[in-house]
Amino acid sequence: MANALFYLFSFFTLITAVGVVVNKNTVNAALCLLLSLVGVAGLFALLDAYLLAALLVLVYAGAVVALFLFIVMLLDVQGGVRAPFQRTTAVAGTVGLAVLVAGLAALAGRSGLASTPAPATAAGAAPVGAVLKHYAEMLFTTYLLPVQVVGFLLLIAMQGVIVLSRKFAAEDAK
Amino acid sequence: MPTDLLPLVEQAGRNQWLAIAPELMLGLIALLLLVLELVLPKAQRGLIPGIAIVSQIAVLVALIINLSTPYIGAGPTFNGLLQHTGGGQFLRIFFLLASILTCVLGTVSLPRQRMPHIEFYHILLVVTAAMMLLAQANHFVMLFVALETVTVGLYILVSYYRDNPLTLEAGLKYLIMGALSSGILLFGITLLYGAVGAVPDADGRLHTGFEYQTLARFLATHPGNFLASAGIVLVLAGVAFKIGAFPFQIWVADVYQGAPTPVTAFLAVASKAAGFAVLLPLALEVFPSYASLVIPILSAMAAATILFGNIAALTQFNVKRLIGLSGVAHAGYLLLGVIAGFSQPQAVGAVYFYLFAYLLASFAVFGVMTQLGGSDDATQDMDHYGDLARERPFLAAVLAIGLGSLAGIPPLAGFMGKLVIFTAAFKAGHYGLLLVAITGVVLSIYYYFGWIKAACFPTNPDPATPVANTRGPVHRGLGLALGLLAIASVLLGFYQGALGRWLLGL
Repeated sequence: MANALFYLFSFFTLITAVGVVVNKNTVNAALCLLLSLVGVAGLFALLDAYLLAALLVLVYAGAVVALFLFIVMLLDVQGGVRAPFQRTTAVAGTVGLAVLVAGLAALAGRSGLASTPAPATAAGAAPVGAVLKHYAEMLFTTYLLPVQVVGFLLLIAMQGVIVLSRKFAAEDAK
Repeated sequence: MPTDLLPLVEQAGRNQWLAIAPELMLGLIALLLLVLELVLPKAQRGLIPGIAIVSQIAVLVALIINLSTPYIGAGPTFNGLLQHTGGGQFLRIFFLLASILTCVLGTVSLPRQRMPHIEFYHILLVVTAAMMLLAQANHFVMLFVALETVTVGLYILVSYYRDNPLTLEAGLKYLIMGALSSGILLFGITLLYGAVGAVPDADGRLHTGFEYQTLARFLATHPGNFLASAGIVLVLAGVAFKIGAFPFQIWVADVYQGAPTPVTAFLAVASKAAGFAVLLPLALEVFPSYASLVIPILSAMAAATILFGNIAALTQFNVKRLIGLSGVAHAGYLLLGVIAGFSQPQAVGAVYFYLFAYLLASFAVFGVMTQLGGSDDATQDMDHYGDLARERPFLAAVLAIGLGSLAGIPPLAGFMGKLVIFTAAFKAGHYGLLLVAITGVVLSIYYYFGWIKAACFPTNPDPATPVANTRGPVHRGLGLALGLLAIASVLLGFYQGALGRWLLGL
């Protein structure tokens, strides 16, 4: 059952992700992105990471994609004329794909695919990702430093938005 | 207090914040700058860059005084997130020095633009603190968070002079390339994490592949794991983006040209060093059991990087593009040092020494470029340097010393840097790579000396290209910094002393 669901969600995620790339209409592309994120959220739920699944739907699918759609509609971007695929692009894509396949084949030949042992987990314990309390405990103890650093990251991102978008009068720069 | 909270309190108590006092200080100074801009009267806001520089120098002095803190070698702190080493101490000093010098360049360059100033210093300080954490990361979560802070800060700094279309182009290209490289790195980290799984230790705590030591143990006991191999390749590719190694160097020339000159200097020196701060512990302490996979990849990358950087720089007339592409070649020499480090432990010290010599020489050259660049920061051609030696002999001398050191001309510091790296590579038996590197050095002399020649002789007067730069008097702070850098470049070439002993002994 879980296997079938895994394949279903993976297939759904991939198909909609391709849809993001090939869609000429930006609104459709954004909606495909939303569906793709829902698929990823399903995969997270299969892994017992319910909090991540909920956050992905709430934050990304809910807020971020909605923001994308706002901006797309605000700017009123038309499909426009897109240059057709050039032959060099197709050749480069084929060569890139061939190199990728060759690289993966080389790695697989070097090592054998099924060489990962099943990870050992403490018996009886609930999966770490399943309980909200675990996240909170980790964030306030082990990962306190990265949380603080992320705070600074958000601060400079905000500064950056101000610097790069606000209009400055000449005397302001003094 | 409920008893089930006690283990958590104990765990939180293991966060020894004193161990990262310099980073905390930088963060506080960055916040202080913003507050000062709010509360100071308008007439006194010109003091803020000076406050940024002086307080950073104070942090630097405190860091050097406390060079051998008890945290070094005492095992990981912050529940395994950080590990303090002698090399980490060097890199902290290195990043702080680069940040101070970038601030000095900023005081010259920023007033020529109609842009707010204080945010520049604020973002620069936060980025520097993140780089200092990056140099001590012992955990992939810490590494990625610090790296993202650095990258996001640099996106903003690169596109800071947004009035210039070339700068905006550079910002966009850096954003896309940076996001792509972060994605590749993250994918690699995920594969490594998945390959390791959860490993319980003796006292029942679960360890994961995020921790360097756990990952290193897993790799040593599972040779030839497919997932781990793919993860290692992707992590190396992600890091190669950051250091601008072939074939991930396409962004370098455009971004270096479009970015404000002080930011170009910071990118060339600190961002590259940050890449190596990530690569060195990963390659030499975590991945050594996969050396048969890592060494060929890094070797091919190093050879291609050296050749590409030098050959592409031969044809450049824009000095910012030239220095960017030559920086690609320098990344190649540094990679050679990393490869030698697999069998010669002192090669790590050689890489550090090379980075330090590169910092001195690069900031000397970028200082001259900042002084001479006009308000149009992105178009600085070699022709603009005509007759510099007669009009501004001090600047021409600093430029010649910096370029000579970058080219590796004895007796300057850059020569000693190349010498220690090449010696380590020779001892490790990488003769083919050594041959490529020496060819690269010979090629590089052509374009570095072409630039020196342009500065020493008058160019043909061509009315079609008016000289856009400003040959005003040299700013006092910048002149002092340039003089110190040039003197240090010369002295470090003759006498390495305690610094050389410390670095090569790490």
